[in-house]
Amino acid sequence: MAGRIAQISLFVVAGIIGILLVGQLRSQAPAIELSTLSAQELSQLIETVSSRNVELSDALADLREQIRSYELAEVQGQSTLDLTESELERIAAFGGLRPVEGQGVILTVAGPFDATAVNDLVYELRGAGAEAIAVDDIRITAPSVATLGTGVIEIDGTPLGPTIEIRAIGSPDGLESTLRRPGGLLTLLEQSIDAQFQIEQRTDLELPATRRDLAPQAARPVE
Amino acid sequence: MSRRLPPRRRLTRPQWAISVGLGLAVIGFVGAAQWNSSLARTEFITSAQRVLISEAEQAQRQQETLGAEIEAADERVQAFQEQDAGSQAALQALNDELAAARLAGGLDEVRGPGLVMEIADSIRPVPEGESGTPYLVLADDLRDIVTALWASGAEAITIAGGGSDRIDAERVAATTSIDGAGNAILVNEARLTPPYRIEAIGADGLLDRFLTNPTYLSRVARRIEVYGLQFAHEARDEVTLPAFIGNTRMRWGAPVSESDD
Repeated sequence: MAGRIAQISLFVVAGIIGILLVGQLRSQAPAIELSTLSAQELSQLIETVSSRNVELSDALADLREQIRSYELAEVQGQSTLDLTESELERIAAFGGLRPVEGQGVILTVAGPFDATAVNDLVYELRGAGAEAIAVDDIRITAPSVATLGTGVIEIDGTPLGPTIEIRAIGSPDGLESTLRRPGGLLTLLEQSIDAQFQIEQRTDLELPATRRDLAPQAARPVE
Repeated sequence: MSRRLPPRRRLTRPQWAISVGLGLAVIGFVGAAQWNSSLARTEFITSAQRVLISEAEQAQRQQETLGAEIEAADERVQAFQEQDAGSQAALQALNDELAAARLAGGLDEVRGPGLVMEIADSIRPVPEGESGTPYLVLADDLRDIVTALWASGAEAITIAGGGSDRIDAERVAATTSIDGAGNAILVNEARLTPPYRIEAIGADGLLDRFLTNPTYLSRVARRIEVYGLQFAHEARDEVTLPAFIGNTRMRWGAPVSESDD
């Protein structure tokens, strides 16, 4: 009897120790929790997440509008090919497969820039909300990155000249203010690589489609 | 011939009493540590912070809900596109083109050979008087990794935070931004925290090409060595990457349709 009590007691004690140890180890893990952020960081975070939520809400509203259009066409017995065609244009433009036009900025860069500076500028414009970007006449798609080729910087196999023109479609004011913000990337590049920049707002930008073949060879869609 | 089993060992009273006593002592110690750490944590959160934390949590939950709703709505749209009542040949051609555009734009879940890597903040102690920032994974590190992967022939890339699985992974698309935000990194404006998990699909040898890529070697590899950022990688026969979830409609421009050319 005493042996049974001993076994049960040990089992219970070991169980409690295990639970407490796991709890303690988890609380010591270096996970970043919201409680570790300052009020300023939390405000920034809320602003960023909320702006993304607005984007997502817009995307959802667009999709719901499309569904309504398809439903209406179905009820009226009409073909929905034209709806699908406009959907194709939108998706192809998003991926860089179609030329696009609109308003935005032209950023002209001169000086001893390197491939990293070109990639950083593209990321800066994306962060500022650019919807489509072209460097010289090369449309930037997801895999389009500047690399150092045989002595020259190139994107998608096309060499860049000593002066480049980056065209970005997006809010002209938003793009320009992000580029010009004090302590931003342009200031940094002006100081570190002695590059010169010019920014011009435009309402008549035209960006070409990519010439790169984006059809994957190794990746296949999941049915 | 039979062998007698040895008599069963039993704990004698002093032995189990000592074990239980020791166990209770450990419980007391760990329990006190738990209590102290939870007290320390709540002590420094002001009421203003609490309100902000609650707002941030609500915004993040809303983001997750919106993501799920977009996925469901997108599936409905695709279902409509596949069952048009018009010409079957025209429909087939259009849907093939649409499928190719979706695949090229990162709007489909994809599977294939590739790699998985994880990068996390350094656990080395920051020397006195030195800034702790270089010991953290920065937005530049993720940008360089992504750039080096594309340059090495990757066909699809995702970034996830907090060691989470692919449900929270953000697919890298043509409009994807990667920016720092305090001690987190925003990818597609979704807030990710370390460790960061990057998965990519590409033809055989992707990992080897990545590890010898100049963009990786010149900045990330150097920072891993100098500051001790934690980094692990593995080639995989197959990885599955989720689709890009976000806005694909232009607000400031429009596609030039083929008939306009």
